[in-house]
Amino acid sequence: MTWKSFFDMSTMPHRHLLFTYVAVLVIQGGYFCWVAWNWFHIRDARRY
Amino acid sequence: MEQRTPTLRNVAWLWFGISVAVLVVGFRQAIFLVPTDVAQGNVGRIFYYHVPIAMLSLIFPYINFAASLFYLYWRRRDPLKALTADALALSTAEVTVVYSSICLLTGMLWGRATWGIWWTWDPRLTSMLLLWLLYVSYLMLRRFSSTGQTHTLAAVLSVFAAVDVPIVYMSIRWWRTQHPAPVFGGGPDSGVDPSMLPAFFWNLAGWALWGLCIVLFRFSLERRRQFAEQEAALKAIEASLEIPQ
Repeated sequence: MTWKSFFDMSTMPHRHLLFTYVAVLVIQGGYFCWVAWNWFHIRDARRY
Repeated sequence: MEQRTPTLRNVAWLWFGISVAVLVVGFRQAIFLVPTDVAQGNVGRIFYYHVPIAMLSLIFPYINFAASLFYLYWRRRDPLKALTADALALSTAEVTVVYSSICLLTGMLWGRATWGIWWTWDPRLTSMLLLWLLYVSYLMLRRFSSTGQTHTLAAVLSVFAAVDVPIVYMSIRWWRTQHPAPVFGGGPDSGVDPSMLPAFFWNLAGWALWGLCIVLFRFSLERRRQFAEQEAALKAIEASLEIPQ
């Protein structure tokens, strides 16, 4: 498989393969970003 | 006061970097290096994300279960330790929801392309959906309950939720219906072609490292929130004790 065929949207199996990999990375990355956002918005009381 | 050392922070960054590197190798293996499945075609490559993540979504609930038991044991004996156990239980419950959501979503995308249907009330799919619902309920209970016993109720719910994990695992062994048979440990007919193993194990290692990384990050965040809450409570008590001049 190549990058070109990975982004091939012409058939449903190809689309679903792409959706799967993109969805996994978006969900995991999104959760990580949410935790990181909260991390920077909650003051660390142990430092003061 | 407890201080986070620079060494711990460096280890966390190193862990994060290794997780991402292993995931990149796993992606390359799964998409570009593994030969195309003869029966399924390229859609069979969903296997390399779906199966490792499904396996891990059955491991994090056990950490949640153990942490909840420790919480219940320590909640009167040692409340500070109980708070630490509670933070671990919350972080693993959230990661369980993330992993089981991905498991259900990727399974549906594969099912639609392979079976022609998005969903069927097969025992494996149904028990996995139940697991997802149980941990979503756990998080909603923690978020919206206003009683003073929320953490205890959540820990008890977690103990009940963990009962579903072996049912999910055994469902494709007890009832042979629509879901494919076990890939590993399912008897003499189970297993995959050796050419598939590197991609599978790279992705399993990558998502396991990543999962532990985000559990520890979320745990640290919850500890930070607990300390901020304690500090705010102390300040409120101090303010209430001040005698007006």
